[in-house]
Amino acid sequence: MIGTWKELIERAQDSEKKKLIVAIPTLHTLDVIEEASRAHLISPVLVGNASTIEKMVTSTSLTHQDYEIIDEGDRDKALAKAVHMARDNGDILMQGHNDHQTFVDVVLNEGSGLLNGRLASLVSVFQLLERDKLILITDTYMNDYPSLKEKITILENALTLTDILEFDSPRKVAAIAAVEQINPSIPATVDAAIISKMSERKQFGDVVVEGALDMDCAVSKGAAARKGVKSIVTGNADVYLVPEVETGYLLSQLLVFIGKMTMAGVLAGTSTPVIIDLPFVSRENKIAEIALASLMCPKGDNNA
Amino acid sequence: MIQTLEDISRLAREKGPKKLAVLAPEDGEFMMAVKKGWENGYIEPVLIGNLEKMKKVADEVEFDISQFETIIEEDRQTIADLGTSMFFEGKFDIEGKGQIPTSYIYRSIIREEAKLGTGRTVSVISLWEIPGLNHLVGFTDTGATITPDYNTKVKIVNNAIFLAHLLGYPRPKICVLSGQREIGGALPSLNDGELLKTAAASGELGECEIIEATNFFEIFMNMEKPFDSYEQIDISKLPHILLAPNLDTANILCKLNFLLDVKRRSLLISTKGPVIIPARSDFSNSITGEIAMGVVIADRIREGVS
Repeated sequence: MIGTWKELIERAQDSEKKKLIVAIPTLHTLDVIEEASRAHLISPVLVGNASTIEKMVTSTSLTHQDYEIIDEGDRDKALAKAVHMARDNGDILMQGHNDHQTFVDVVLNEGSGLLNGRLASLVSVFQLLERDKLILITDTYMNDYPSLKEKITILENALTLTDILEFDSPRKVAAIAAVEQINPSIPATVDAAIISKMSERKQFGDVVVEGALDMDCAVSKGAAARKGVKSIVTGNADVYLVPEVETGYLLSQLLVFIGKMTMAGVLAGTSTPVIIDLPFVSRENKIAEIALASLMCPKGDNNA
Repeated sequence: MIQTLEDISRLAREKGPKKLAVLAPEDGEFMMAVKKGWENGYIEPVLIGNLEKMKKVADEVEFDISQFETIIEEDRQTIADLGTSMFFEGKFDIEGKGQIPTSYIYRSIIREEAKLGTGRTVSVISLWEIPGLNHLVGFTDTGATITPDYNTKVKIVNNAIFLAHLLGYPRPKICVLSGQREIGGALPSLNDGELLKTAAASGELGECEIIEATNFFEIFMNMEKPFDSYEQIDISKLPHILLAPNLDTANILCKLNFLLDVKRRSLLISTKGPVIIPARSDFSNSITGEIAMGVVIADRIREGVS
């Protein structure tokens, strides 16, 4: 079971270096790429105007042996090339200086071939402050108000990550809402209850989904006991499934900025791991994102 | 200006005892909080509920309740109605929720507010004390309206501003939170935020300022400088009030006190004074703190401090 960023990065270092493709790298991206290269996680392919990239690279310690450049002066074409490379002979796609909407649209476009056929969701991975444990919160970015069906896919996307992180079985999921009681007026509690029932019927495999849980029951066994909720999930959830993006996005940011918890986010539901440039992920944790993406790569494909 | 929960405890000792109507204190943690509130000189309780159950838990926490006025009633909604109507008649300074469903007490309060024609909405504010920050921060609405529309949000903000003024924040800063990201269409929460900004700028909301930021990244960071280190986070940038888009978000965020190094106190302000709304999972220390908060707010409403 991988419980810390350190373990995550070490595990990724144990595997082959991955070919990371980025369109229109910025100085900031190159800093991160430099560090990830030095850590033997990746060999980067930089797509964009070759002379601009060459100039920027001189400010890093990267040498010509460390990277490959694909010359493409047009921004849109550079992004399209990067996406195709990532699909055909790359391992990881990382967002460079592309507008978020454009980047996401291109990735999700059927023609990109990156989507697994359903929907992509963002999983925010946090390391707990006082325990060697990683937790997953999802969906924190991609889908505004997912339907029940979409929530099920979002959960399944996250569960693939719990496999990669070798979480102990059964995997424990808290489907969170405002209250732990099922209230027909609060749709999130109803969806959570249905997903919970599905897990009881083993529809997700060796996974226990408890829902609805409010946040106190989810994070504290003592608080849950006060409310009469008894479950192996309370106080020990691996995955927190949120009702919608207002909660997911704000919750992950609150944990970072007020909770001072470290976060790495990665897209799930794509055939090739995709790293979105989320501004609230610290530079240090962008390395963890690359390590996470590296472990998500299908084995034996395009290892550099 | 109240900066910390310690300020609240000190003031509650000074301004107490106030009369607290306790609705169904039939749980050990809750009765323990009433006991501590009494011992600290915050309150003189009036206990409404099932006598046997109240006596049982009082015995468990070694609290002699025979010295207090008790009103015996079994039915949960009747307890809420009775306590609330007496509270609105001015017989108590504070009302506190014990073992009754929260919706019952909301229902009673809404009914009493309607009788008075105040137009006030019922909304809950959960105040956080965060280490290193010199004011409390209120999440709202953490308890009542599931998906507030713009007009309800105006009322929720009004309630929060009223409380902020009582706490001694003359021009509270407010962030209208939204899950709006760089992708996707405009969320209703973002639109509501824009409308609230216009309302605030024209003075409709009274003394307050709605800040530009709509999420925590924007509160603490800016796009010009990348987020390199946690040292960059200046907690003093946090505003006084955080208006959440909906109940799920509000409640989930405010309950993070069970995970993070922060303390939470939840209450609602009715026309006639504060109603403390502990979570059913709260422990006695937290509930005692809420009682102290109720005492200070009741005192300040009475004194006309704002």
